[in-house]
Amino acid sequence: MESGRRVPNRVLLALMLAGLLAWLALDAVSLAPNRIVPGNSYRAFEIGGGWPALAMTLPMLVVAGLAWRPSPQTLRLALWSVLALLVLLPWWLVAASASLVEPEMPQARIGIGVSIWLLLFVWLLTLIELRTRLGLPRQLGWLLLLPVLASWWVALVWWLEPLSLYREYQARSDQFLAAVTTHLALVGAAVLASLVLGALLALAMRRHPGVRRAGFGLLNFLQTVPSLALFGLLLAPLAWLGARFDALAAIGVSGIGWAPAFLALLGYSLLPMVRNMYVALEEVDPAVIESAHGMGMNRRQVLLQVRLPLALPIVLEGIRITTVQAIGLTAVAALIGAGGLGTFVFQGLGQAAMDMVLLGALPILGLALVADAAISALSERLRPGGAA
Amino acid sequence: MSRQELTIGAAGLQTQMRSWLAPLAWLFLLVLFASGMPHLEGAFRWIEPDSREVIYRRAGFFVLLGQHVLVVGVASLLAVALGIGSAIAVTRPAGRDFLPLVSQLASIGQTFPPVAVLALAVPALGFGTLPIIVALLLYGLLPIVRNTLTGLDGIDADVREAARGMGMTGGQLLRQVELPLAAPVILAGIRTSVTVNIATAALGATVGASNLGDPIIAGIINGNTAYIVQGALLIGLLALAVDSVFERLLRRG
Repeated sequence: MESGRRVPNRVLLALMLAGLLAWLALDAVSLAPNRIVPGNSYRAFEIGGGWPALAMTLPMLVVAGLAWRPSPQTLRLALWSVLALLVLLPWWLVAASASLVEPEMPQARIGIGVSIWLLLFVWLLTLIELRTRLGLPRQLGWLLLLPVLASWWVALVWWLEPLSLYREYQARSDQFLAAVTTHLALVGAAVLASLVLGALLALAMRRHPGVRRAGFGLLNFLQTVPSLALFGLLLAPLAWLGARFDALAAIGVSGIGWAPAFLALLGYSLLPMVRNMYVALEEVDPAVIESAHGMGMNRRQVLLQVRLPLALPIVLEGIRITTVQAIGLTAVAALIGAGGLGTFVFQGLGQAAMDMVLLGALPILGLALVADAAISALSERLRPGGAA
Repeated sequence: MSRQELTIGAAGLQTQMRSWLAPLAWLFLLVLFASGMPHLEGAFRWIEPDSREVIYRRAGFFVLLGQHVLVVGVASLLAVALGIGSAIAVTRPAGRDFLPLVSQLASIGQTFPPVAVLALAVPALGFGTLPIIVALLLYGLLPIVRNTLTGLDGIDADVREAARGMGMTGGQLLRQVELPLAAPVILAGIRTSVTVNIATAALGATVGASNLGDPIIAGIINGNTAYIVQGALLIGLLALAVDSVFERLLRRG
């Protein structure tokens, strides 16, 4: 492979072809005079005489050319080209908004079109492909995204005020912050509570097979029930409890709000948590336990000093699944008044205000990805014999 | 096939019947509640004494159930065809270049919350049934692709070698060896996909599709707990019925 005749990397070629087609043929941005009026759409080459669009096309052609004769050197060059594209994209948007927005339109909104969403998707796929081919560690992949994020941030804060998503954010930045806080608080509370309850349940399950069968049966059953239905079904009994007992009502227990959301989240979180904890406790090699006992450790010491450290990566995997799942489910909880980022999604859908939907949906997506990556990295680090 | 069935015998047949009992029971309950909901007016009156109307009447429960099943069914069938198809394509010699990317995409994509996928489909495709089907299809693809890849990957190399040695062609190897061996894992992927889709489709009621999520959303908006319970009950029963069918199919595999 390394010698003279290298085979073209068809994946990169296909991705770049798709990217170029999207860039040439589909709408890149839209311009609307205000939030309500639907805007006019423009393709990339219709803006600024096409020169800014050409500047974005060249790196893609470079990547395609490099993919023709792949070697570690050319692939590394391709990686830099894609990163350059991601860094340049906000500046293309700056150029587009400078040429489209007239000074007499203070409320004008630049919307990101289908072409740019597709490009972002294609470029991220390209990054994943290049990272895999070059065998770069996952953490480095995240590090590479830092300059991209910095470039977007600078462009957004100083030059991209007309970007519709940014305008939407500015109009409700306080609400946004509160929504993120509520979202994280609900997720954190559910994950923590399920961690504690899950540990107790897993320990009880190890002692009593009856508890194990009933517990797993019930939790599997809960996991099957759709979230909207579970939120709905919890509404009635909690409303009744809140109406009946003033003490409960005083701390906010009612059919609507955090109480049903928290309970449903806890119910869904328990299954992955308990399952992983149980497996973690079961799967420790009996010989290791035996030798620990032989060293004179008592049950408690074996649990704390041998079982738990060995079980930690599997438990972390449970926490990862639970957290990612809870971030998504909390979004649904907005429907029953629990707040969080889902509020923007469902309000936006109700008002057909797509920027508002994006303002809720994109951070939810980002939170899930970041939580997933962070906990994965942590468990990689803590794995016995891993990069600790 | 027939020889196998004959050897099952009377006792085997009985246990087979019994093992279908759970799915049949859930289906029976589902149909019973979907058809008999208006007769439960008394019970719902007790839940929701303040409202004038306690039975959701904007559409029949069977119509809502049918639409729910239709949307999930179409999306899931497409997801199965596309998901298994693409997983097979990237494990053949011709498509193997794409295997790392597809398998990474399938695992990264599963961290996307279904709600976010549904919400992002609307700006791209508009309101109504189509964006829901597309969102369910895209999201439902991931577990199927991933499990098909896992299933095909888990087949012992010796088994493939032996099949090749018997003179099987690539197509025969796939149909007679690889797919049957990977079937349980693939089926588990389809189960995950369908379960998530039933739940996500219910959220489709917020983007203009009418299905079993409708009574819940209407109930939340109007503060009518009885509506919520009706929708939640039927969605729950539908999910449990479908899940128990998969449970049954998997146990045989």
